[in-house]
Amino acid sequence: MTLSLLAELIVMPLIAFVVGLALVLMMRRVRARIERRIGPPLLQPVYDIVKLYAKRTQVSHGIMHDLAIVMLLGGITTSVCFLPVPGLEGLARQGDLLTLVYLMMVPMLGLALGVGSCANPNGSIGISRALTAMLAYDVPFVFVVIGLAVAYGTTSLPEIIAHQQSGGIATWGAAEMPLLAIAGFIAMHAMLGKEPFEIYVAPAEIATGPMAEMSGKYMGALFVMQSFQLYTIGALYVTMFLGGGENWLTFLMKLFAVVFVSVALTNVYGRYKTDKVIRFMWTWPTGIALAGLALVMMH
Amino acid sequence: MSENAGSRNPLQLRDQPETCRTADAEERSAWQRVIGRFADNCRARSLFVLHYCTGCGAIELPPTITSRFDMERVGVSPMVTPRQADILLITGYVALKTLKRVILSYEQMQAPKYVIGFGSCTINGGMYWNSYATIKQLDQYIPTDLFIAGCMPRPEAVQEVFLELMRMIDAGKANAWRDYYRNYDHYLANQQALFGPQWHTPTDIVAEAKHYGLMGPGTTGPHTRLLDQHAEWALDRIPEDYPERGENERSER
Repeated sequence: MTLSLLAELIVMPLIAFVVGLALVLMMRRVRARIERRIGPPLLQPVYDIVKLYAKRTQVSHGIMHDLAIVMLLGGITTSVCFLPVPGLEGLARQGDLLTLVYLMMVPMLGLALGVGSCANPNGSIGISRALTAMLAYDVPFVFVVIGLAVAYGTTSLPEIIAHQQSGGIATWGAAEMPLLAIAGFIAMHAMLGKEPFEIYVAPAEIATGPMAEMSGKYMGALFVMQSFQLYTIGALYVTMFLGGGENWLTFLMKLFAVVFVSVALTNVYGRYKTDKVIRFMWTWPTGIALAGLALVMMH
Repeated sequence: MSENAGSRNPLQLRDQPETCRTADAEERSAWQRVIGRFADNCRARSLFVLHYCTGCGAIELPPTITSRFDMERVGVSPMVTPRQADILLITGYVALKTLKRVILSYEQMQAPKYVIGFGSCTINGGMYWNSYATIKQLDQYIPTDLFIAGCMPRPEAVQEVFLELMRMIDAGKANAWRDYYRNYDHYLANQQALFGPQWHTPTDIVAEAKHYGLMGPGTTGPHTRLLDQHAEWALDRIPEDYPERGENERSER
């Protein structure tokens, strides 16, 4: 029992990493196709990460900067272990949706600690924007989570999946609670930090913000985090609204579909200003989520 | 169209033999060779470019990046900060004022790093050959891996030079960045000739060379000794030599 759990804790992040790399590749290829380019080769995400980790020199900005990377990768790999996938439950029975929501904030807080010790103004602006964005998208997201908890009477992810899989597509979260699904999608799209909510990366404006001072292995760790992040957020949406995965084939199909929609939307939008992001997130997705919550409670 | 230019001013360094880097025992082991080969291969296929576009050459880069030529096909993509970049692409003429920023950006980049001089202006001054305000040879101030000749070089030429650089990296030959550490005194001499003896950057190249084992015969010299008197980062470690400056510096913080 303990041994199989340990094995799962090793296998789940590995799977997440590999699938995440594929998602990164898809993201870049989709962007290229929309711009009528060919796009990067198959192994480009791997080359990038290996190249960054193989840098001969790197700049550390103190112990906090180093610890931040540990916190960031630790947070994101731990949250993967709480996310049940077909055949592997990991720690999903020990924690629940709320644990996961909490854990998914850890990487951003870690990044904030690390960037704080860099003394780069672009980094400071970037991280203040990142935390502002978090404040913006977490409000609708929390309402969505409450809605799910009320609807299913539980926050346990395996039970939520079991309930959704009991009656085919008709019992999927997205079919039963379409309003919450829409609000959840917008909130999760904002979590990915892509346009139109890309306020804290903004390469042309604040030089990638929190990443401005990251070099070599630090940047490599952020590339690893990006692939984990795409996987975690996509998989969480699939788990919450698209019935989880009956098997790996359907799970991966749903996962790639969700991330594909998000990535495709990204490429047709510009970037909102910071205050516009808050205003948008606190009106539309929050309003939709509240309406969805009301519907669920009346049911 | 491209020339290999690790070449330094022959007059200045005639007494120093062109040294080959000797590999230490650790590097010679088979496992290290395999790892190094793999890393070089990945380095060649993933290049982030910092476009230093104050010259007119910038206009040739959008077609190189976008759908007509699509640099990302071969793993070359633009990056916005020197910390994340691998290639420093200097497009066109470099004014004296610009050169300071170029050197600052170059020193912030993390090794292995590569410099491409873009257009005639970086090779011999181009149409600014008799200008008092521009430098004539970029590789006197920072080590340059490749040049693209022409005014303007077309995107085909830019692509070709990226492919050539990838071949060099893959073969482990794009080592101009080591030259900056190994002959820092030479580059610093040329920089100080332009900017005066007080010239220094926030990056302590000599300390970096020591830390990463990249010291060479020309790392330190008469010009790096001048740094100890002027650079802020040096003031912390030599208060006994320059007590009054060290004290002032600390009280300001």
